[in-house]
Amino acid sequence: MTSPTTDDLQAITEQVWLSYLDPEGTNPFLPSEQAPTMPCVIAAVSVTGAWEGHVVMSFSTEASKKASSALLGMEDEEVTTDDIADAVGELVNVIGGNVKSLLPDGSLLSLPHVATIDEGVNKWPAAVEVCRLQGSWQNEPIAISVWTSKSTG
Amino acid sequence: MKILIADDSRVMRQIVTRTLRQAGFGGHELVEAADGRQAHDLAISEKPDLVLSDWNMPEMTGIEVLRALRAGGVDVPFGFVTSEGTDEMRQMAEQAGALFLITKPFTADNFTDVLGPILG
Repeated sequence: MTSPTTDDLQAITEQVWLSYLDPEGTNPFLPSEQAPTMPCVIAAVSVTGAWEGHVVMSFSTEASKKASSALLGMEDEEVTTDDIADAVGELVNVIGGNVKSLLPDGSLLSLPHVATIDEGVNKWPAAVEVCRLQGSWQNEPIAISVWTSKSTG
Repeated sequence: MKILIADDSRVMRQIVTRTLRQAGFGGHELVEAADGRQAHDLAISEKPDLVLSDWNMPEMTGIEVLRALRAGGVDVPFGFVTSEGTDEMRQMAEQAGALFLITKPFTADNFTDVLGPILG
């Protein structure tokens, strides 16, 4: 079965940034080795059915605030925890929906789940990473990864 | 005209509102629904001229809302604004009576092209 690739993630991410986070094209997401460390904000959607797995975004706390303020047209300091949950949840929903369009028919996308992780581990049981795009936006790290359940991968 | 925007994300409802304005459709009256059930009920009580609906929502999905409206004889023009634009979903949308399916991420140009003929 064909799985999404890092190139796919990059193409989707470019579209999302141009539409919502960087319409002027002046602050693109820059792929690099940089990835968020804890504490971080995790947003995920799950895919079930013909293909099973997860699409996961992780943000540094500051990146989650910047993304939320950009989406809402507010200042960074005005953004509330609820705003962040809504905004990064919607970002992963849009990216997840576009990833799903690369997957076989008969797959279903869940509603987003968002969590703030201060320390410890973030684990996806029985899943393996298929591809990953990581880097920075306005000097803050963001990573996007796709995981497939071992049984369907 | 009155437009009902249905999306469980407040951020996305705000982006849709902003994009309508950027696409030159800023003068219309807007009503918002935060889940599918609310979208269904407001589509009946508010009698909008157009419904712009997300697909994946709590309580009822967008396609369930559309089917329930049509089954109840409500013929309001209805289109999807969703992150999922597979052929499978486009077919389901069309068969249920949707006029269009705009995929997220969208731009003001997408709105102009699709909504221009409907909103004038």
